[in-house]
Amino acid sequence: MGPRTSSAILTEGLTKLYGRRPGIEGLDLEVLPGEIFGFIGPNGAGKTTTIRLLLDLLRPTAGRATLLDRDAHRQSVALRRSIGYLPGEFGLEPRMTGRQLLEYFGRLRGMDDLGVAPAMAGRLDIDLDLPMGRLSRGNRQKIGLIQTLFHRPRLLILDEPTTGLDPLVQDTFLQILREARDEGRTVFLSSHILSEVERVCDRVAIVRDSRLATLETTESLLEKRRKRVVMVFAAPVDAARFAQLPGVTDVQVQGTAVSLRLQDGIDAVVKLAAQFTLLDLRVDHPSLDEVFMGYYGEQK
Amino acid sequence: MTGLRTELRRMWIFTAHQLRSRWRSLTIWGVALGAMGALYVVLFPSMSTFMQEYLEQAPESLKGFLGELQGPMTIEQWLGMEYLSLLIPVVLPFAVMIMGARAIAGREERKTLDLLLSNPLPRRDVVAGTVLTMAIVLAGVLAITWMLTYIAVPLAGVDLSPARLAYSLVALWPLCLLFGVLALLLSAWVRRSAFAITIPAVILLAMYLAEVLGQAAKSMEPYRVVSLFYHVGNPVEGDFPWTAVLLMLAGVCVLTGAAVAVFQRRDVFT
Repeated sequence: MGPRTSSAILTEGLTKLYGRRPGIEGLDLEVLPGEIFGFIGPNGAGKTTTIRLLLDLLRPTAGRATLLDRDAHRQSVALRRSIGYLPGEFGLEPRMTGRQLLEYFGRLRGMDDLGVAPAMAGRLDIDLDLPMGRLSRGNRQKIGLIQTLFHRPRLLILDEPTTGLDPLVQDTFLQILREARDEGRTVFLSSHILSEVERVCDRVAIVRDSRLATLETTESLLEKRRKRVVMVFAAPVDAARFAQLPGVTDVQVQGTAVSLRLQDGIDAVVKLAAQFTLLDLRVDHPSLDEVFMGYYGEQK
Repeated sequence: MTGLRTELRRMWIFTAHQLRSRWRSLTIWGVALGAMGALYVVLFPSMSTFMQEYLEQAPESLKGFLGELQGPMTIEQWLGMEYLSLLIPVVLPFAVMIMGARAIAGREERKTLDLLLSNPLPRRDVVAGTVLTMAIVLAGVLAITWMLTYIAVPLAGVDLSPARLAYSLVALWPLCLLFGVLALLLSAWVRRSAFAITIPAVILLAMYLAEVLGQAAKSMEPYRVVSLFYHVGNPVEGDFPWTAVLLMLAGVCVLTGAAVAVFQRRDVFT
């Protein structure tokens, strides 16, 4: 690990316009060393633009970014020694094997070996000696993840890293991220999968319409979530009684089914439902978009 | 000094990787052009008599087109008629134009540029390393071409100086490289590999046509000066075109510098 820095990522008024269309506008953000930072938002919100600005792949229209106390543009080459980056979409040379790719990238990084790549390949269950053109999408994603991590970077920047991975491998990967954090590395994780962010991130920034909507700890963000509870009864019930319960909003009735939004614990709802003949009960965690809507509703 | 050494080392790693991934195409281009050269040499004895009789009866404009041939045809004239003036200088630039177009715009289209640039590899090294790769590939192809062509010389029993054949090929090296670097510049600028190949291809063919038509028709002769083929001439028969070669190498440097400047300033997309 390198020297301790005051901020892993610091952006000040970072703006990128594509013509008149904003990619990201006036982004002020600080990511602390040693945390897993979630950067979430719906597709097109500006997540990838921000990451590409951090990586100096895009030039900002205004503002600046500093990574590990170095200017993201002027010192980008030196910075890339300490950064592992996984793009949201990437191609691999089909004739090369994973091992050849890692050897090549390792040489560019001045490494004499494959670092932690063999161990990671074992954990992610991927054969590094197969030509990458013969790999499935999920396995190509694993190669991408390994090339991000194999040189043990101080800062990991990951754009939708679990896309295409099966749930077991997702678990392993998230565990690898936790281990990286425990070693003092910083992880900047862009995602639109809230459950993934919930499980590993210490703090979360939400971007919407190219602007930072909020930045808070994962815990406080989760408190803003409202679950949707759907109950199907044997006969129509008086839905008004559910609406009177604390934390319950948006009660809807359709035949014998009652659906409602719930912020607090489910205990009171279950106890009231138990007074009737309950045929089915389903609890849906809201999509990220619904969280956004809830969040904006509160702001208004 | 250490920084420069590190950067040169990184550029060489990038170049060596590109060379490794292109050795097959290098060999195919070299063997194909060399085999063609060998075929020309082997066919020369039987073709020379026929061509001589044919040329004696040919109209003046055609004689002009074929280089005002007089007396018995030499192996140099035979090779200069088509092989060294059409086949290699018009076909071989495509090998490096494709390479130049794929280096940046092609990598963006294949979505491999992000991963490459996530390494501590400056953008200028991608450009410079690609030019170096093109230069080495061209030198390799021309060396294989020279070797295979020259192997046929004793078999055909003709008198051809190895040095003369060598420098006629060496004169084509900067010509081909210039078009490759032009494709690279466009690739660094426009993000469309098809465009980056098409523009140099059109310029190359236009220059070739200007030279051919300028030779064939007096009214077109003034336009020959815009053609690099005119300035390179036919070194297998005459002098080595030092001025043209040096100017083309200067052009390679200018276009490389422009490609670096353009690529440094622009956004990289996937």
